[in-house]
Amino acid sequence: MDARLRRVNKEIADCKNDKSSNIDIDLVDNSPFHLIGSFDGPEGTPYEGGHFEVDIVIPDSYPFQPVKMKFITKIYHPNVSSASGAICLDILKDAWSPVLTLKSTLISLQSLLCSPEPRDPQDAEVAKHYMTSKSSFEETARYWTEIYAGGPGKAGKGKASGPRDEIAMAGLDSAHVQQFQSLGFEKSKVIDVLRRMNYRGANVANINDDRVVEEMLKP
Amino acid sequence: MSSADEYSDDDAGYYDEDDDEMLVDDDGSASEMELDPMNDFHEGSSRRKIYEIDYESLSQADVERQMKSEVEYITSIFGVTVDVASLLLRHFDWNKEKLIEKYMDNATTVSVAAGITPPEKAPKRPAASGGRLHSSSELSRESLIGPRRSSRRVASAATKSSKSKLLERATPPRQDEPFVCPICFDDTQTEFMSLVCDHKYCKGCWGAYIESKVKTEAESWISCMAEDCDVVATDTFVQQVLGEDKGTWGRFQELLVRHYVSHRPELKYCPYPSCTYTVSCSISRASLATQVPIVTCGNGATHKFCFGCNVDSDHRPVICPVAKMWLQKCHDDSETANWIKSNTKECSKCQSTIEKNGGCNHMTCKKCKYEFCWVCMGPWSEHGTSWYNCNRYDEKASKDARDAQSRSRASLERYLHYYNRWANHEQSKKLSVELYAKTEKKMEEMQITSELSWIEVQFMKKAVDEVIKCRTTLMWTYAMAYYLEFGNEKELFEDNQRDLERAVEDLSELIESPLDPEVIKTLRQKVTDRTVYVTKRNEIVLEDTARGFLEGRWTWNSPVAGLD
Repeated sequence: MDARLRRVNKEIADCKNDKSSNIDIDLVDNSPFHLIGSFDGPEGTPYEGGHFEVDIVIPDSYPFQPVKMKFITKIYHPNVSSASGAICLDILKDAWSPVLTLKSTLISLQSLLCSPEPRDPQDAEVAKHYMTSKSSFEETARYWTEIYAGGPGKAGKGKASGPRDEIAMAGLDSAHVQQFQSLGFEKSKVIDVLRRMNYRGANVANINDDRVVEEMLKP
Repeated sequence: MSSADEYSDDDAGYYDEDDDEMLVDDDGSASEMELDPMNDFHEGSSRRKIYEIDYESLSQADVERQMKSEVEYITSIFGVTVDVASLLLRHFDWNKEKLIEKYMDNATTVSVAAGITPPEKAPKRPAASGGRLHSSSELSRESLIGPRRSSRRVASAATKSSKSKLLERATPPRQDEPFVCPICFDDTQTEFMSLVCDHKYCKGCWGAYIESKVKTEAESWISCMAEDCDVVATDTFVQQVLGEDKGTWGRFQELLVRHYVSHRPELKYCPYPSCTYTVSCSISRASLATQVPIVTCGNGATHKFCFGCNVDSDHRPVICPVAKMWLQKCHDDSETANWIKSNTKECSKCQSTIEKNGGCNHMTCKKCKYEFCWVCMGPWSEHGTSWYNCNRYDEKASKDARDAQSRSRASLERYLHYYNRWANHEQSKKLSVELYAKTEKKMEEMQITSELSWIEVQFMKKAVDEVIKCRTTLMWTYAMAYYLEFGNEKELFEDNQRDLERAVEDLSELIESPLDPEVIKTLRQKVTDRTVYVTKRNEIVLEDTARGFLEGRWTWNSPVAGLD
C-alpha cells in the first residue's frame, strides 16, 4: 500500500476514534485525498457556537509537503480571506513538518481563531477593522458566525430567515451609512466604500467626508 | 584571422607581465590559485584583446574542490568534522571570517544556530530519552560537537566516528519494543535513522522527505522532520539516506554548489538552463564603468553572458549600467511609444498627453483646464466665432504652441530612431536559426553543384556566425549612441558603427542571395574576403569603444545610475 494512503487512512481512523478533540474529518467523495474537516468555534471568542468546515486537499507529496486547507464556512477573521476562505498560517507553508497531522493542523486552525494575528493578515480590510476597533470587529465576527456558521444570535436560530443586515455584515455603523445614503448614493455603494475605507470607530475622525464622496463618485 | 596578429603587437608588453605572474602562480599552492583566478586564462582564448576580460570557467567539480578546501580549513582550525564544518560555513553563507569570529566568541550558540546541536543539549538528556540509545552513540555524538572539547581531533578520525554513529543509528530497534515510524505508520519498516536530535524516522520517509525538499523546494538546508526541530541534516546523512537515488543526490550537490557560488562575489553561475558551470572573474564593481565583462562558460560557446549584470547575452560595447538603463527604457517605452505618437498630442500648457477620442476641435485639458484648438494647438480664445473650423493656423500663439509640441515630439522621434534600428538587428538575430538551416541547405547544394568538399564550403557557416555576432554588437551600438553626448567623439563612434553596419549588410545579402553554380568559386572568394573584413570592422568598434572607456572619452547625455 502506498505510504501516503496508509498514513491518511490512519489519520482519519485516529480522528474518528478520538472523541475528546471534537474534530471531525469526512470524505468528500470516495477519495481519501479530498476531505472536509470541521470543528466548533472556540469558547470565549466571537466564533463560539459556530461550526466551521474546512476543505482539505492532500497533495501527492504528503506528508512531506503541507496539506492544502481553506475555510468553506465564511468567517470574519484577519488571517482568513473573507472572500475565498484562504488561510494564512505558517504551518500550512514553510513551518510545515511531516510529523504534523490533519488533526493537529485543524487544532492549530481552531487556536488561530482564538488568537488572530492582524499584523500578518490574509484579509487586509478585516485586519484594519480589528486594529481600529476590536469590539466592533468582534461584533461583526459574531454576526458572521451567526449567519454562516449557525451560531446563536439575537434572532435565535434565525439563519436564512429574513434579510441579512448588510451593514452589520460589513461591520459598519448604520447611522454612518444613512448619512451618506441621504446624499443620494445607493446603499450597497455606500457600504462598499465605507468598508474599503475602514470607516469605523476612531478612524472616522481621520477620514474627510469629501474623500468618501469622491470615492463614491468613482465609476 | 589577420586582425589578431595586428593587435597582438600593441599588447605584447602587457601580456608579458601576465606571463610572469603565471609562472609564479604555478609554483604556488592550489589554494593560492583559487584566490587569484585572474592569472589563469580561459581555455581557447589565445591572447586577450582590450575588450575582453580575464576569467576562468569552472566545472562543478572545480567548485566542489574549492568548497572542500574551505571546509578543510575550518576543520583544521576548530577540530570539527567535515560535516560540521560544512554546516557552519553554509550557515554563515561561506563567510569564513565571520564564522571564526562568532565561533570563537560562543561555540555553543553558533552550533545551535547552525543546526548542529539541538538547543537543550545537556548531559541529563540521555537519561530522559529512555534506554533506547546505546552509550557508544552518546560518545560519538560528543565527537560531533567537537568544539566543546579542548582536544583537536584530526578531521579523518572525527569523520569516522560520526559515520559509526550513523551506522549505529540505522540499526533496527529492539524486538521487545517495536518502533513504528510516526510518519508513515508502516510497521514493516526496520531501518530507522535520526540526526543528533534523536528524532527517529524510517529510512523510506527520510528519503521521501529529502527528495521533496531537494527536488520540489530546491532546498539544501534540510532540517529534521520533527516539529520545531532545527537540527540540520549533514552531507553524510543525506548521502546515506539517498543511497541509490543518484538523481536527488546529484541535485543536492548542485544546490550546495549554487549556494556557495551565490555568496562569492568573484563567482557566477551560468544562467543557461541546466548548465552546471561556474565562471570565476575578479572584476570589481568600480571597473564596471569602464569594462564589459562578457564571459563564456566551459560548456559551450553559446553560453555567453555578462558577469557584471543580468543580461544573458553579449552587450558589448555598452557598459552594464548603460545597457541596463537602455533595456529599462525599451521596456517602458517601446510598446506604447508608437501608439502615443500617432494618437495623442500634448497640452501646450501643462504638457499632459491628450488623446482625442471624439467630439469637436475645442479641447479643454482635463488637468489644467486650458482650452485650445486640436488642429492648430493655439488657444481657443483666439478662435472667436469660427467654432468648428480652424482658420487661424498661422497665428503666432498657435505657432509657438506647435513648436513646443514638436520639440517634445522630437525626443520621442530620436528615441524611436535608435530603438527601431536596435529592434531591427534584434529581429534579424532572432531569425538566425532559420538562417543556419537555410545556409546548411545551401552548403549541401554547393557540394553537389561544384567540386567543393564539405570542409571547403564551411566558409558559409563561418560567414553566418560572424554576421550574427556583429548584429549583436550593432544592436548595442544603437543603445550606446542613444546615450552618447553629441560631439566629435560620438561622430567617430557613429562612423565606425556605420562602417560595420554596411559591411554586415553586404555580407548578409551575399550569403542570402540565390546560388549560381557558375560563380561559386568567385562567391566563395567574395564571402571569405567580406567575412574577414566584417570581423575586422567588428573588432575596430569593440576595440575603440573599450579604449574610449579606459581613456574616459565617452560622455553621456543623461546621468547614468551606478556611475560616479
